[in-house]
Amino acid sequence: MNSFQLALRVLRVDRRTQVSTTLTALGVAVATGLVLLLVSLPFATQARAERTLWQNPSSLASYDSSGAAVTSPDATVSVTTSFDQVDGKRITRVDVAPLRDSGQVELPPGIDRLPAPGEMLQSPELASLASSKTPAQLADRFGAKPVGLLGEDALMFPEQLVALVVHTPDTMPPGAVELPRLASGQAEPDPLLSLLAGVGVVVLLVPSLVLVASASRLTAARRERRLAALRLAGATPAQVTAMVAAETGIAAVAGAVVGMVVSPVLHAAATWVSWGGGTWLAHDFVLPWYVTLLVALVVPVLVVGAAVAGLRRVVNTPLMATGGHTRKPLSAVRLAAVPVAAGLFFWTLMSSSTNNSMVPMLVALGFLMWSPTLVGPWVTSALGGVFTKVWRKPALLLAGRRLRDDPKSAYRASAGVVLAVFAGSMALTLMPSFEREAGYYSPYRDSVLYLNTGKEQASGVVEAADERMKRYGLAERAVPVGQLNMRQGQEYLSGYVVSCADAQVLLPVRVSCRSAPAVYAPSGAALDMYEYSDGEEKMTPLPGKPVPAAGLGVVLIDPALLPAGAPMSDVDVAVPPSAGSREAARTALLAASGGAQVISKETELSDQNTQLADLRRVTVIGLLAASLLGGLSAAIATAGSVMDRRRTFGALMAAGTPVRTLARALRAEAALPALVATIGAGALGTFAGIGLFGLVSKSAPVLSPWLAAPVVLGALVALLAASVCAPALNRVRSEPLADE
Amino acid sequence: MTSLLSGRGLVKRYGDAYALAGVDIDIAAGEVLAIVGPSGSGKTSLLHVLAGILKADQGAISLGGQRIDQLGETKRSELRRSEFGFVFQSGMLVAELTAEENVALPLLLGGRDRTMAVSTARNWLGRVGLAGKETRRPGELSGGEAQRVAIARAIAHRPKVIFADEPTGALDTKTGHATITTLMGAARETGAALVIVTHDRDIAAMVPRTVSIRDGRIEHSVVAA
Repeated sequence: MNSFQLALRVLRVDRRTQVSTTLTALGVAVATGLVLLLVSLPFATQARAERTLWQNPSSLASYDSSGAAVTSPDATVSVTTSFDQVDGKRITRVDVAPLRDSGQVELPPGIDRLPAPGEMLQSPELASLASSKTPAQLADRFGAKPVGLLGEDALMFPEQLVALVVHTPDTMPPGAVELPRLASGQAEPDPLLSLLAGVGVVVLLVPSLVLVASASRLTAARRERRLAALRLAGATPAQVTAMVAAETGIAAVAGAVVGMVVSPVLHAAATWVSWGGGTWLAHDFVLPWYVTLLVALVVPVLVVGAAVAGLRRVVNTPLMATGGHTRKPLSAVRLAAVPVAAGLFFWTLMSSSTNNSMVPMLVALGFLMWSPTLVGPWVTSALGGVFTKVWRKPALLLAGRRLRDDPKSAYRASAGVVLAVFAGSMALTLMPSFEREAGYYSPYRDSVLYLNTGKEQASGVVEAADERMKRYGLAERAVPVGQLNMRQGQEYLSGYVVSCADAQVLLPVRVSCRSAPAVYAPSGAALDMYEYSDGEEKMTPLPGKPVPAAGLGVVLIDPALLPAGAPMSDVDVAVPPSAGSREAARTALLAASGGAQVISKETELSDQNTQLADLRRVTVIGLLAASLLGGLSAAIATAGSVMDRRRTFGALMAAGTPVRTLARALRAEAALPALVATIGAGALGTFAGIGLFGLVSKSAPVLSPWLAAPVVLGALVALLAASVCAPALNRVRSEPLADE
Repeated sequence: MTSLLSGRGLVKRYGDAYALAGVDIDIAAGEVLAIVGPSGSGKTSLLHVLAGILKADQGAISLGGQRIDQLGETKRSELRRSEFGFVFQSGMLVAELTAEENVALPLLLGGRDRTMAVSTARNWLGRVGLAGKETRRPGELSGGEAQRVAIARAIAHRPKVIFADEPTGALDTKTGHATITTLMGAARETGAALVIVTHDRDIAAMVPRTVSIRDGRIEHSVVAA
């Protein structure tokens, strides 16, 4: 009988081996499915990016040393992209003008044809949204007639709001580049999600493998006895190893196959998780076959390797496995791991801020993440030691002795959760801190919408916008705001050409306006207008004396007092809409400018808000998944612990020990290491988060109440683990002295 | 003879097979009794049924005149913890606990405080010849020593009946005899009845009364002269 046949025979007749094999296969299936999902994320983001290359013309344009776009001699199309907002959602607007016959413009997938100038294609979601609103709120912004829909292959995600507006070259908004094609190509994966996928592989794969280890521990005691008996009967170490490899291999291969089969379900579930503002297409997550094959091979090989490595004791000293043996106490040197890792991390943080190299810091961060694995069992053992000294009830004595006796096993079930809690605590420290740092610079009040126009176009845009707003029944009016560079004494100031009354509404300033037109400045000293010309600073005195306005950090110049030929650097057209008139005012500005970028708080913060929400979401999902896996591992480990000691527990029950006493002991045994580990990992993760935040900001990090979440998760894991005690013990109680 | 523990018409089935097929038995207070029989004769089932570890399918069991077979699992557990003591083959000690903690365990479970439980446990370990070995784990004791710890554990809470299931099964003859002597001495000292299940005729010969069982029925009961 060869090793494989022996493994099959054991599997056929032994119920506990069947349970263990099923759970091991389940763990491998979960691990395989998760890895297949996580490694598909970079490919998915790449697929998204390639679909939307056409929305990002700057990626296809060439630029000269001054930053100006170089016009290609074989250009067929002029393109510019701007971003808009409606109901808090981002609209991507691509303005296009064919430079030759539109049939000659090479189009990307999802766009069948280029409509005629004055027409537009829109995404299905945008079409649906536009039909649910009045033209003033949305449709009028594009100044074009919708004639069709963009296919999903032209969209980043199914619900993306996109408009492809076709112009003649002379009506294109400013900033357009001329390109040979409106085309696709190869794009890079999203670096942030790729990084998170890498972290996710570690954070979720480890608890999955711990789950596998816990499942295989269900039969460990009995298997060790069986293998030791085989060794004593003359089986060679190689034969024993082959038997274990065969036993575990059956479960691992079955699990990997199941993982591959269910992986499309996980992928389908992942398509519902929003990233970058929207969900995914089902085929985004399709992996190249060689990656799938690699994962399907590597995961079972890792599992079999771990099982074989765990057999060292029985292979080397079979007699030890059949009888009892005393474990060596853990060395206190383990305790040094955390301070050493923390010191190393701190030192590399300091170094990376001076030499810009992140690699040593990331290695130190990895060491810091790993350090609880060394310290945890020692702390578990110490905790057990305390219990064995202070116990008053048998439950605490039993738990304490068990923790003291085999702290590595007691801690092992928590190892996966520790990693997740570490990563989660780090993220929970970084995110609120980043959120506080998030912001944007605008010279205007938060509620103001504005766009930048050339000096010559400003009056036309104002006139057209006012006409639109009047037509929409809005009371608001557009205001041109010129900008000047000013100097007062040695101080350089921004100057705004705007009336004092308009400035009070548009700009974040407080000033007491006079009835007559005036110039307002921080002090009453004379003002100069200056400009750079041919590398030289040219000063022009501003006639008259300004009205001093203490606390005013800018200069306000009433348009009536601006000298002819004043060196205005720029002109904005600004509207201060109310909440109710915001969308219509935005429509008026966009329509009046022919599609120029309208700037507002929402458009400026859109990327930051989306990214922070994405991070928050994946952190929560990752933590929940890791906790669930960790909880299952701990629960299986607890059940295994009952099975390993079935005869002892049975004898205790036969002698009248209440199940609740044993359950209490087992609960303490399962829950305490998990709680201690999660609190420790939470503290370390917070420390790492504070350190990383220090790299990018000098301000103090925000320590929010969310940092308590790891403790809650620890409790969740502990509860899950503890929940199986009573049923497992009740099974023993039904036949306390029966053979295993 | 006044019966302390009695069974009447005890029947226990496993599927179609009868482990007990109508057993009547009486055990007096302080009596020492051996139940003997070949493998599969039903002797362990009889011990488990009498002790309330297994429920009989038919029949009645009384302890001190009170029916105990109709009690629920919780009450039966309490009864086993307070009125009965158990010695199993190869000790069945809790591997992680020391010898004195193992002996103290039933007392602690019965609500005694730590100091009293440990002191009683030390006392009994001394009386079974294990003074100085109180802090050893089961893995650090010989088979005979482990059985003596089990005897101390079974007797420490002064039960009315001690049930011993093949207590010498894993021991050599000399150690086995010494163990039975210790067990009988401890039972005598506390006035407990002792029921020993064994297939060893030599052990049975040490006991005043022997009940022989075969195919789930009492074959004969012999009282030594």
